[in-house]
Amino acid sequence: MKKTKRYAMLIDLRRCIGCHSCSVSCKAENQVPLGVWRTWVKQVEKGIYPNVIRIFLPLLCNNCERPVCKTVCPVKATYQRKDGIVMIDPHRCIGCKYCMAACPYNVRYVDPIKKIVQKCTWCYRRVDAGDLPACAKTCIGGARIFGDINDPDSEIFRLISTNPVQVIKPEKGTSPMVFYIDLDITAVEARENI
Amino acid sequence: MNEAVRVVYNIHHEIPLGALIANYFYFTGLSAGSFILSTLAYVFGVNKYKPIAKTSVILATLLLILAPINLLIDLEQPYRFWTLFYYINPTSAISWGSFLLTLYPLNCIIYGYFMFKGNEKMTKLFGILGIPLAISVHGYTGFILALARARDLWHTPLMPVLFLVSAMVSGIALTILVIYIKDRFFSPLMKANEELIVDLGKILAFSIILDLSLVFADIIVMFNSNPEALQIVDRVLFGKFKNLFLGVEIALGSLIPLLILLSPLRKNITLVIISSLLVMIGIFAMRYVVVVGGQIIPQI
Repeated sequence: MKKTKRYAMLIDLRRCIGCHSCSVSCKAENQVPLGVWRTWVKQVEKGIYPNVIRIFLPLLCNNCERPVCKTVCPVKATYQRKDGIVMIDPHRCIGCKYCMAACPYNVRYVDPIKKIVQKCTWCYRRVDAGDLPACAKTCIGGARIFGDINDPDSEIFRLISTNPVQVIKPEKGTSPMVFYIDLDITAVEARENI
Repeated sequence: MNEAVRVVYNIHHEIPLGALIANYFYFTGLSAGSFILSTLAYVFGVNKYKPIAKTSVILATLLLILAPINLLIDLEQPYRFWTLFYYINPTSAISWGSFLLTLYPLNCIIYGYFMFKGNEKMTKLFGILGIPLAISVHGYTGFILALARARDLWHTPLMPVLFLVSAMVSGIALTILVIYIKDRFFSPLMKANEELIVDLGKILAFSIILDLSLVFADIIVMFNSNPEALQIVDRVLFGKFKNLFLGVEIALGSLIPLLILLSPLRKNITLVIISSLLVMIGIFAMRYVVVVGGQIIPQI
């Protein structure tokens, strides 16, 4: 029996060099306005000289299996495709920003031009045409691997099966679909001083 | 080790729900609280509260008509608000709210109409209908916050209860203020009904104790929760929100009024009025601390 498609992304942090080309290509592909980002690379320094490391943590919408944004949207503007991509209907969103408050990953933003909430959709138009999302395509280290997690012949299935992987904030119960190899939890938990 | 971790680069995350939402919660709380007070005479038959029933039902109706205006202004697409009534998501608290916010003021208007007409039977009927509506219209705002799983300050089953109790507190305080002003300056006698105000002060004191114990329980559990919750409690108790929370909400808005209302000073009308005013300010600070303080820590 052929299983349904379920897209996922694996980010191999051993290969990320923090060049930000994923952020740039995403901006170009999705025409993301100034000041907001669909994907970005958080940079954290850990340790004191000479024992110090710089950690790069690319972040994007996790397109969760159980998205809390979909649960809380009052007009069902946020919905999930059969292949798992969480989408926003631009004609339905009323801009109440409840989804932004409920998202444990802070990946949603108000589009300053369209005045609706937007987020990463894994470049669904490119994916439907059989191509990779712009960030995965452009990543020079090959750190972002995108594919069908239910297909045993795919690269992402092979890498997730043979490596220890982690997700961000599994305790929130959203079953995120962006997996990380070599994830340092201090980089996730580090906050600027507020 | 934590001192040796520094964020070198991260993007800016805006705070999605701001002061307007806090104000909305404040208004619905005032409305629900005054509505419950007005039902004391006409549904539960406590006749000594009859003089306040008409005032508080007008307050309940007016505030609930004003409250959703905050929501409308806060929407990014205000002209799409009416789609809330036919794109319904049963899992979303805002979706429940769009119906509660329509039914409750309608019920308030009918209930008030019969009250002013002197039809006690119909007043009682719509009062009985109104009590669950008033509880849900404010209880659901607690659920809005409690169902937003990401924010540790909000994601607690205590939130709807806490909101209901603080609604009672602020509703009673508002009613005391308004009936004092009404009787003192606009009634033919030009004299406040002191006995009634002292009596309402007692209910106010009781509600403040309940409210304080819930806030205390919430903080104690948060202190023993996950690290993120601990970071938020830290900001609320010792950081950016410490003046607003400890100073305005707890000291000014709860403890000082409580001391006045429990001591022999409670017979002094001026002090009761001052403590009602302080309570109203304190509850607004509470709404602001909960809504904005809950989002102060970026998730990533």
